[in-house]
Amino acid sequence: MSALLEVDGLEVDYGTARALDGADLRVAAGEAVGVVGESGSGKSTLGAAIGRLLPRQAVVTAGTVRVAGEPVLDLPPAALRRLRGQRLGFVFQDPIASLDPTMRVGNQLKLVLRAQGREGREGRDGHDSGGGRGGRGGGINADVAFHLGRVKLDDPRVATAYPHQLSGGMAQRVAIALAMAASPELLVADEPTASLDSQVREEVLNVVFSLAREEGTSIVWLSHDLPAVARRCDRVAVMYAGRVVESGPATEVLGNPVHPYTAALARSAPAAATPGVRLEPVPGRPPVLTGPSAGCAFAPRCPFAEDRCTTERPEPVRVGTQDVLCHRAAELEVIA
Amino acid sequence: MNRTTRVKGTARAKRTASVKGTAGGRRARRLDPLSLTGLGCLLLLVLVALGSLVHAGGDPDAIVGPRLQPPGPGWWLGTDNLGRSMLPRVMEGVGTTLLLSSAAVLVTAALSAGFGILAGYRGGYLNELVMRVVELLYSFPAIVLAILVAAVAGPGQLAAVASIVLVTIPLMIRLVRAAAVAVAERDYVTAAAISGAGLPRILGRHILPNVAGTIAVQGTYALSVGISVEGGLSFLGFGVQPPQASLGVLIRQGGTYMMAAPWLIIGPGVVLVLAILSINVLGDGLRDRFEPRETRALI
Amino acid sequence: MILDLTDVTVSFTTGPPLRRTRLDAMRGVSLSVAEGETLGLVGESGSGKTTTSRVALGLQRPTSGTVRFDGRPFPRRRKDLAGRMQAVLQHPHWSLNPRMRIGQSVAEPLAVLGKDAGSLVPEALEQVGLEPGFADRYPHELSGGQRQRVSIARALITRPSFIVFDEAVSALDVSVQVQILNLLKDLQAEYGFAALFISHDLGAVRYVADRIAVMRGGEVVETADAVTFYSAPEHPYSRQLLESL
Repeated sequence: MSALLEVDGLEVDYGTARALDGADLRVAAGEAVGVVGESGSGKSTLGAAIGRLLPRQAVVTAGTVRVAGEPVLDLPPAALRRLRGQRLGFVFQDPIASLDPTMRVGNQLKLVLRAQGREGREGRDGHDSGGGRGGRGGGINADVAFHLGRVKLDDPRVATAYPHQLSGGMAQRVAIALAMAASPELLVADEPTASLDSQVREEVLNVVFSLAREEGTSIVWLSHDLPAVARRCDRVAVMYAGRVVESGPATEVLGNPVHPYTAALARSAPAAATPGVRLEPVPGRPPVLTGPSAGCAFAPRCPFAEDRCTTERPEPVRVGTQDVLCHRAAELEVIA
Repeated sequence: MNRTTRVKGTARAKRTASVKGTAGGRRARRLDPLSLTGLGCLLLLVLVALGSLVHAGGDPDAIVGPRLQPPGPGWWLGTDNLGRSMLPRVMEGVGTTLLLSSAAVLVTAALSAGFGILAGYRGGYLNELVMRVVELLYSFPAIVLAILVAAVAGPGQLAAVASIVLVTIPLMIRLVRAAAVAVAERDYVTAAAISGAGLPRILGRHILPNVAGTIAVQGTYALSVGISVEGGLSFLGFGVQPPQASLGVLIRQGGTYMMAAPWLIIGPGVVLVLAILSINVLGDGLRDRFEPRETRALI
Repeated sequence: MILDLTDVTVSFTTGPPLRRTRLDAMRGVSLSVAEGETLGLVGESGSGKTTTSRVALGLQRPTSGTVRFDGRPFPRRRKDLAGRMQAVLQHPHWSLNPRMRIGQSVAEPLAVLGKDAGSLVPEALEQVGLEPGFADRYPHELSGGQRQRVSIARALITRPSFIVFDEAVSALDVSVQVQILNLLKDLQAEYGFAALFISHDLGAVRYVADRIAVMRGGEVVETADAVTFYSAPEHPYSRQLLESL
């Protein structure tokens, strides 16, 4: 089966700094994939590249991004707009900033719904008309109420509120309703709950994941929190210095990490500590790349590094259920 | 479409925010070519003003030829109604105008720094008082305020300086206060206060250096406002008094013979425009340098 | 007790005149921190933990209730406390004055006391795992983790008996958080200062604290040993925080 999202060898530079250094990512239809990395690992750049939403300074020097087989980075503007409108949805970290502050929530939703209606007629002609919206009538106001209801915003006052009148959790749910209104095939969420409190965070995540499951939408969830991602997602991809260094089933990546960086990350969360046991973080900090990394970017911090780790770029190796970028993956698996 | 553009903006803002730390070291230290041109122009004018002190263009009060002569050898900018050469007179005028404006702007900057920072950091009654006074000044049209001062203090250099200060100070105090309020909330100020640092240390070591950029930028703009206020005031006869030349005085005197001898106002007029323009351009450059809206480098 | 809050209430009035409403940021909060102990304070935004931090630091006067630092109410003059209480605050980007060299920032609490820093600055930097050469750098040349280390060095240089850590690691990456938390534990073992560690992250609080207080809606809902918080906190809200880890 061909994947819904295929990112191959993507390299992105901002001026002299390198954000992505050959990133690969695959997401199957209906799958939830967590992309985990620390700040500067390139996960936000990867997320933005999926919708070709990179800032102007960004230069793609190599690689491809395909959504449902369409080459996102090479599409003409009209086709790109149609792709974004029909197949992609985005949710960002700061919910209030991602909504239009001058427009009532309901009107923003109507804009999306009308655009979707138009594009639907142009694009999907005949088949699939009405998609997941069947069995509802009563005009666009009912549609607005329906979409807000799907994200558990049943209070009718929400539709007439301005974004600043909403709490962070409500605003993020509105952003999700906007992103999911067009029943996208792929939802890209960039740390959507980072600014929310734990209780609200759980509610918002429940809304996103149940809605996605209902609609068959795939999720790419960008986060720095490995345990939280592993709880929700089917698969996890761990990024380090612009590459996906390990990907595989969530429980395996968290429970039996193969790449030394993933192992260190899983070990170093304060929440993972057992009473009285000292956590041992990796010394040092991630590199700031200015060009392609000569070898494995983690080598300087890696307790298992050998000579070739600094001179030879690792290629993906299959270890058990995981794809790993590590020269010594097979040996380390045996040690572990 | 609306949604996509918003989305782009957020992505960019977020990325910029997350990488500020590493990018700071590479931030452009130099001004852009346009502002450098402005700076060059301003320095040239200062040089011209200094030249007038040693009568580099001739004696401004000496009668060198016939009255109201068009530009020619011996009087490169023409002669005025008394037969004095316009060149040394314009040079002296530039000097007077720049000197009065800069003196006034220094007073404005010092007062604004003092009251703006204190009001911004301490808040409370002092803040209320400063802000009400500022609003009062703000509500008067600039030129009316200047004439009022001249009427009270009597026309002359002092009236010109006082007017420039009163016209430029409201905006400057507001902006310095706003900058100080923002700085006062930062963690390093709180940490210093917790350490027991006294008011002079907090204001002098922590707040002033971090609002200095704002003061420099606003000071530059204030200088150009000052030049135009001096010009206007002296033109109306409330500022610098003849025989001393300032750009405003020269334009006023030239105005009488505008039809017969237009060079009398063209010379000082062009210099006035040039001065204001170059200072504004320089101010824009300084603003981009000191208060960058967005960090340029990424990752 | 180095710090004692007894039945502290802090109210703010908000809204337009005539329609002012009173808001209790803290309601009857009692907390105490013993010498050499770390009290963890967990709460989410709006729980009142920021106000609690300001009250503990003497930056906010309580509307009612008493605050005692080292057995006495806060002195009228802040200078009388100088050097005995320090803080490491939230935002690594703003924790250091961008116009001062690292060395000057670290030496500042001593300068306030009128003491000469001498060799203490390089020493303090080494204690937090930074090379002495950092003293000549400016904050923008440092990473977030390095800046928080500098903040800790600055807080430690007067050997205070009490340090408040207000969301001191929240803005850092997970692996860096643990580096800083370990550093904090090591330094505390060596110098024996008492600490109030405030965070919304129960994981981080539980890792460094001896005792934990949970705040919600301006009230402390539970105070217990950290060990209890690994297994079975009593209050339903505490359990909910534990589950979401």
